[in-house]
Amino acid sequence: MAMHRIRIDFDAIVVGSGITGGWAAKELTQRGLHTLVLEAGRPIDPERDAVEHVPPWDMPFRGLGDRAAIESRQPVQRHSLSFDELSRRFWTDDVDNPYTTPVDKPFHWFRARQVGGKSIIWGRHVYRWSDLDFEANLRDGIAVDWPIRYADLSPWYDYVERFIGVSGRAEGLAQLPDGQFQPPMAMNCVEEYVRDRVQERFGRERVLTSGRLANLTEPLNGRAACHYCGPCQRGCVTRSYFSSVNATLPAAAKTGRLTLRPYSIVERLQHDDANGRVTGVRVVDARTKAVIEYRARVVFLCASALETARLLMHSKIANSSGQVGRNIMDHIKHTGVTGEIAGWTDRHVIGVRPGALFVPRFRNVGATRAPFLRGYSFLSAARRSEWSDRIFERGVGTDFKRRLSTLGPWTMSFRGYGECLPRQENRCTLDPVRVDAWGIPVLHIEAEWSSNEHALHRDMAATAAELLEAAGATNIHQQTTPSIMGDANHEMGSARMGRDPKTSVLDAFNRAHDVPNLYVTDGACMTSSGWQNPSLTYMALTARACDHAAGAMKRDEI
Amino acid sequence: MDRRDTLRTMISAVGLLTLGRHVHALARGAALRILSARQDTIVVAASERIIPATETPGAAAAQVNLFVDAMLAEWYTPEQRQRLLAGLAELDAQQFLDRTPTEQTAILDRFDAEATPEHWFGMLKYLTVWGYYTSEVAQTRELGLWPLPWRYDGNAPYPH
Repeated sequence: MAMHRIRIDFDAIVVGSGITGGWAAKELTQRGLHTLVLEAGRPIDPERDAVEHVPPWDMPFRGLGDRAAIESRQPVQRHSLSFDELSRRFWTDDVDNPYTTPVDKPFHWFRARQVGGKSIIWGRHVYRWSDLDFEANLRDGIAVDWPIRYADLSPWYDYVERFIGVSGRAEGLAQLPDGQFQPPMAMNCVEEYVRDRVQERFGRERVLTSGRLANLTEPLNGRAACHYCGPCQRGCVTRSYFSSVNATLPAAAKTGRLTLRPYSIVERLQHDDANGRVTGVRVVDARTKAVIEYRARVVFLCASALETARLLMHSKIANSSGQVGRNIMDHIKHTGVTGEIAGWTDRHVIGVRPGALFVPRFRNVGATRAPFLRGYSFLSAARRSEWSDRIFERGVGTDFKRRLSTLGPWTMSFRGYGECLPRQENRCTLDPVRVDAWGIPVLHIEAEWSSNEHALHRDMAATAAELLEAAGATNIHQQTTPSIMGDANHEMGSARMGRDPKTSVLDAFNRAHDVPNLYVTDGACMTSSGWQNPSLTYMALTARACDHAAGAMKRDEI
Repeated sequence: MDRRDTLRTMISAVGLLTLGRHVHALARGAALRILSARQDTIVVAASERIIPATETPGAAAAQVNLFVDAMLAEWYTPEQRQRLLAGLAELDAQQFLDRTPTEQTAILDRFDAEATPEHWFGMLKYLTVWGYYTSEVAQTRELGLWPLPWRYDGNAPYPH
């Protein structure tokens, strides 16, 4: 293998260009730092790569996907909610990027290697945490305490929300702080009805509200309002939802201080053992396998939670606590409780709203106590059944066609997402044998739900049915199998923040306790998982950490 | 010209009128890859009986047969492919193409009463329904989903 020792110096290196890497690129360049962003995957140009307006009849498999190719190359990625015939181009190849698990502990690791990372295919629900979450570990005596509180993050939530654009409704709930919102997306007629019935029965205890979505309802910084075409996971040529390629990376490029290098797999961090600092990174070119080294004063890891743990372990740094790779969390998903709502057969929905409604956590909130720790949220939506729901019904001919072509009754569904406790035993290590297509050791992931997550999952089924009963739903049925860990695509916790260097990897500003010029701001940093979708918190933590790093550099501390 | 040829001529005329400019990507200029000419004729006729032309075009005009051929070539396993082709032979053995549309529907109804999704008729029906409702003619004229509405209305009158 040829060694190209091209040393190029930067002020900052950011590993990864996904939802946090894009923010790090924007914040660091806007603070005057010449920044190199290293992305393992290919470049993405929305004009060329966004395929959300391809009609089904122009898809080779009409939306059913290229079965042979998917089974052979993406047997893990296919399980992601937003994986489809066209969006599969935005997920990794499982053959080139393997990992291992024990046979009895499956884990779904969804990964995206391209400029923009998973921000292209994320769920776009953005919810603030509150001190109910930041104080949870301390209150419950679990794991370690968060080194920050809501007051530390609140201005950064404001800052991030104003830039990404969030449509949503202020509700004044203590467990779900309100933010900087554009007008919410509309509920359909049946959703409004269910919302009102839930309010009659449960008051402000259980609230069905509009999803808070990083999809615009008003133009923002040259990005257009959402036009309700539907499949956001295939990209967005009008840049109406927030992603790195739609917003942060263009803002970083505008400063003239951004160098973005795709096809750059960071194999390890280089460090100077004498002063305990990271000096740069060693990169393998994804296409040529040439090795290149880059140097910088500060390094940000935004590579995704498990990739970051892998990189730290392979580099043998920042792990005096022994916590790197441990405490892996995800959200336990309840795949759905559904019931029929009578009426409104003379109404239907035009257009596709890009996100569901939301029921914020109501268990263990205020004075109420449930027989488990923490809580969960619901995503919810009402729809009319259509031809694809009745494809296996009996019949051929004119009547059959008429039945399929007519919309069926309305159904309302609730899908739960439950908090996962941090546990040391849920961990990843470097596999002693397997390597990826570039010769880098792969992860062995060993993680499973605990009894608390299972208790949440059982409770979701019961309370979702109560919500449906409040709305007078009939034919209530449910899926009872818990998700496989990783399925929520919220893997996190593998290099947690904390107050004590002996028990945590990162300090209150996401800086490695052991390495003063190394920051980790992706999901690895999470000390607990919360019950909310995590990306908004990742972004706020990233912006705050960049501000800290730029200040420390200006003062010549790093 | 016998009845079979008349039917084929009618079907292809409708097809040309409604879909001539929008032939499916996989089929563009391509010959059939799996189905023989006779098997193709059976698929065209059977799919049209499953989803017939009414006030809107049916499965034949939507060229569901080309979708069936593409799926047999690239999606199903060899075993599944053989199962469906054997089913077409079974229809042929019953002189399916020489029957009146009413008789054809009755034959398919009998298979439908018994068929599981794995049965060859379950496969053919699934492909017909999926191929039809994802076709341009169904998406635009039958379901009214295209062109994209470019707006959201959660309380629109129905039928539209």
